[in-house]
Amino acid sequence: MANTWGYGAMTNHIGDMQNSKAIIIFGANPASNHPIAMQHILKAKEQNGAKIIVIDPRYTKTAAKSDVYCRIRTGTDIAFMYGMIRLIRDNNWVDKSFIADRVYGMEDIFTECEKFTPEHVEDVTGCPKELLIQATTAFATAEPGCLIWNQGWTQHTIGSSNTRLGSILQLTLGNMGKPGGGCNILRGHDNVQASTDLGCLADTLPGYYGLSEGSWKYFSKQWNVDYDWLKGRFKSKKMMESKGFSLGLWIHGVLEKENAANNADTPLKALVCIGNGISTITQTHKVKEALDKLDLVVFIDPFVNDAAVITTRGDNMFLLPAATQVETSGTVVNTARSAQWRTKVVEPLYEAREDQEILFDFAKRMGFYKEYVAGMGKGEKFTWPEDATNEIARSLKTIGFQGRTAERIKKHTENWHLFDSVSLKGKGVTEKEYYGLPWPCWTEKHPGSPVLYNINLPVSQGGMGFRNRFGTERNGSDLLSAKGSAPVGSKIDGGYAEITYKNIEELAGITLTAAEKKAVEGKNWKTDDSGILVDKAIEAGLAPYGNARARTIVWNFIDNIPKHREPLHSFRPDLVKQYPAVKDRKNHYRTNVRYESEQNAQEWVKDYPINIVSGRIVEHMGTGTETRASKYLAELSGEMYGEVHPNLAAKLGIKDNEMMWVYGTGEGKIKIRCKYSLRVDENSVFLPQNFSGVWSGESLESKYPKGTAPYSFGESSNQVTSYGYDQQTSCPETKCSLVRLERA
Amino acid sequence: MNNKPDFARMKFYCDENLCIDCNGCVVACKEAHEVPVGVNRRKVVTINEGIVGQEISVSMACMHCADAPCQQVCPTDCFYIRADGIVLHDKDKCIGCGYCLFACPFGAPQFPKDGAFGTKGKMDKCTMCAGGPEETNSHEEFEKYGQNRISEGKVPMCASMCSTKALLVGDADEVTLIKTYRAVSKGKGIATEAMGW
Repeated sequence: MANTWGYGAMTNHIGDMQNSKAIIIFGANPASNHPIAMQHILKAKEQNGAKIIVIDPRYTKTAAKSDVYCRIRTGTDIAFMYGMIRLIRDNNWVDKSFIADRVYGMEDIFTECEKFTPEHVEDVTGCPKELLIQATTAFATAEPGCLIWNQGWTQHTIGSSNTRLGSILQLTLGNMGKPGGGCNILRGHDNVQASTDLGCLADTLPGYYGLSEGSWKYFSKQWNVDYDWLKGRFKSKKMMESKGFSLGLWIHGVLEKENAANNADTPLKALVCIGNGISTITQTHKVKEALDKLDLVVFIDPFVNDAAVITTRGDNMFLLPAATQVETSGTVVNTARSAQWRTKVVEPLYEAREDQEILFDFAKRMGFYKEYVAGMGKGEKFTWPEDATNEIARSLKTIGFQGRTAERIKKHTENWHLFDSVSLKGKGVTEKEYYGLPWPCWTEKHPGSPVLYNINLPVSQGGMGFRNRFGTERNGSDLLSAKGSAPVGSKIDGGYAEITYKNIEELAGITLTAAEKKAVEGKNWKTDDSGILVDKAIEAGLAPYGNARARTIVWNFIDNIPKHREPLHSFRPDLVKQYPAVKDRKNHYRTNVRYESEQNAQEWVKDYPINIVSGRIVEHMGTGTETRASKYLAELSGEMYGEVHPNLAAKLGIKDNEMMWVYGTGEGKIKIRCKYSLRVDENSVFLPQNFSGVWSGESLESKYPKGTAPYSFGESSNQVTSYGYDQQTSCPETKCSLVRLERA
Repeated sequence: MNNKPDFARMKFYCDENLCIDCNGCVVACKEAHEVPVGVNRRKVVTINEGIVGQEISVSMACMHCADAPCQQVCPTDCFYIRADGIVLHDKDKCIGCGYCLFACPFGAPQFPKDGAFGTKGKMDKCTMCAGGPEETNSHEEFEKYGQNRISEGKVPMCASMCSTKALLVGDADEVTLIKTYRAVSKGKGIATEAMGW
């Protein structure tokens, strides 16, 4: 998404779905995973007459509420979408003026979609062409329609192409930048948006600033530390500016010698895991091996991390008890970029400590506490978490955090009742502001931006065009948006570049004073601490980040336009030749990753003839570490199972409720209960992702420290998920794997 | 015109078009009243699970009937109906015979095996969060019947936690009015305030 139009975040918001006339839910199951969002979806259906279209390999609880349900084979989303785009093109449902004014490179998409005839889409996806046509017609003729997705799209070798083509689908229909339209990505769990905003990623600094020298220098200033001191903390400048191991790939940094070359000639030696269920990534048996091999392992969690039980290491593993959300305070950011203040309800119980206290202690013992807290600007006499919140607000200019001060966020939370849940607009003391100041919230007077890229509002009221992020010209084509397509009230009636000290006077039609000039010298909207560039831009009705075209072509990606590629472990080897995986990649997040060679290593489907569909269930969260420790949730869902169509089970000689072995393409195997279900098709088994604590038939309960074991246990589905990582982002492929089922 | 006080008539309503089988109501009920594992005062039932176009879910509990069949058949006369229509029972009188289960059209009565809700075998069911015959908000009332939220003017736990507001509870006049409002706004192409954030 960020590579299409500038920001990688949900473009609209949950209440806004009520303004939709059609909703596609593609690779998401909000009835199970986002029940509150489901209220708004169902209200759109009931009150707004929105058609609900669910595209999913499994007939989910969400699908049960749909008007049109399309069952597709896992990993064929792109084929389905190109089929939709082809129909949209041929039926003249394309929003021509939107594309002409605000999009670059649509011709290539219309060329690529040519081969995806309804018949071909049916062959690739398994979905009858009539349903493809019905779904496309319902969506394309609705004005406007929104698109919802979730990890069903991202956790694929081609996940980054899925999300790009979803964005492009909305561009073809002109559904972007308007209430009721947009790409509403439902984040996987609480506060994910804030985690990525704050740079809990392998490839960026906070605020998606990247890792270049300029970014480090900018942050050394924000953090009040010397750049050379910061550089000195790294082995070399090269490593400082290299992407790190990602959550999916770190195991290969421990286990495979060849990756040491990508990691300053050393394997990974230690792991500190804070609040992450690392058994929800693929190949848990490799995770175990890696945990066993490391020199040091630290888990920081309110509950015992199940990975601590999975490993058989004997020493140098530490479990540090962390406070829960009710024992701490600070901001939380929802899936739709809105912030809310959480207030501490009780002091941390027993030995638990708040996360920052644990980290401060580390910093003290490692000797950099003074530098660690310097960014708050008050030495060691800071107020937590307000001063940190304000440091974040000040520093994260790329995503417009400047207006999100602790004081303003608290004011919104305290006046929660004064906001409208559909428009997010406030009343009374928060009049004209949007709940939680959805970013970008450019200044302390800005109301926040509930719907991204909406040019029907002035920038000062949350309007903006697409971001100018990819240059102003490409192969002779203008990348800035066309005349007539600027946010209302703009000094410039069309596209313009991002705001810098060089162009501000010309674009805003102003003359800076000598003092102002001096303050902004050498700066742009992302680096200007004085705030002058942003203020002057907004006064002139200009978005600080420019006004450009969204792009369908990402020239720095392997696939310039999104391409269907068969999963590495494909159920349809006959299609692999036509839609092969990319070539193997060297140093992809410090790891040499197999694509083509893995796909062609053998004809996987011969030995592993069943597709898996993986997903979460409503009772449990993540690895279930917390929820499986709840008596009543364990009562409702107390045991790992696999949903198998009765016809498939009958062929395999497995009766309902009998135990079965599931063998993955790696070395993992799990013994689980067979649950007859019509939710899956006759080639698939559905595996919930939320269990752990049983290892290939052996209970690990006795390995929990006394009194900490949860009520329910189960095999981890990721013991049988296959090798595979997104070709761009390295997100692990949890969705397309092949397995073999046998009666136990 | 009569000048008697106008008592509420408490009713549940669950909209099967909105119920998404999330079991939020079930867990909320159990947590609130510390109901023993195995006792389900409230259940979400899904029929035709996985059959395309035919799957329906609905949340069910004691419906607090006006002319309650359980009360009529109980050999020890342990049931009583409050002025607001909530059907309660006295666990000290209950002998756990299960006759109420014969009579109940909805399968509401539950029979605990042991645990906090009294002696093995005594019937347990939804109280609409109104406790029981013990002193209101006393320890004894909580131990045998769970919280008494009605006495505190609070919405019963199940409906207050319902994520899509499929499940409603309250004075029948209010519940029907909500349904009427929903019917009026149906298909109008408008958006209304969330039924709860």
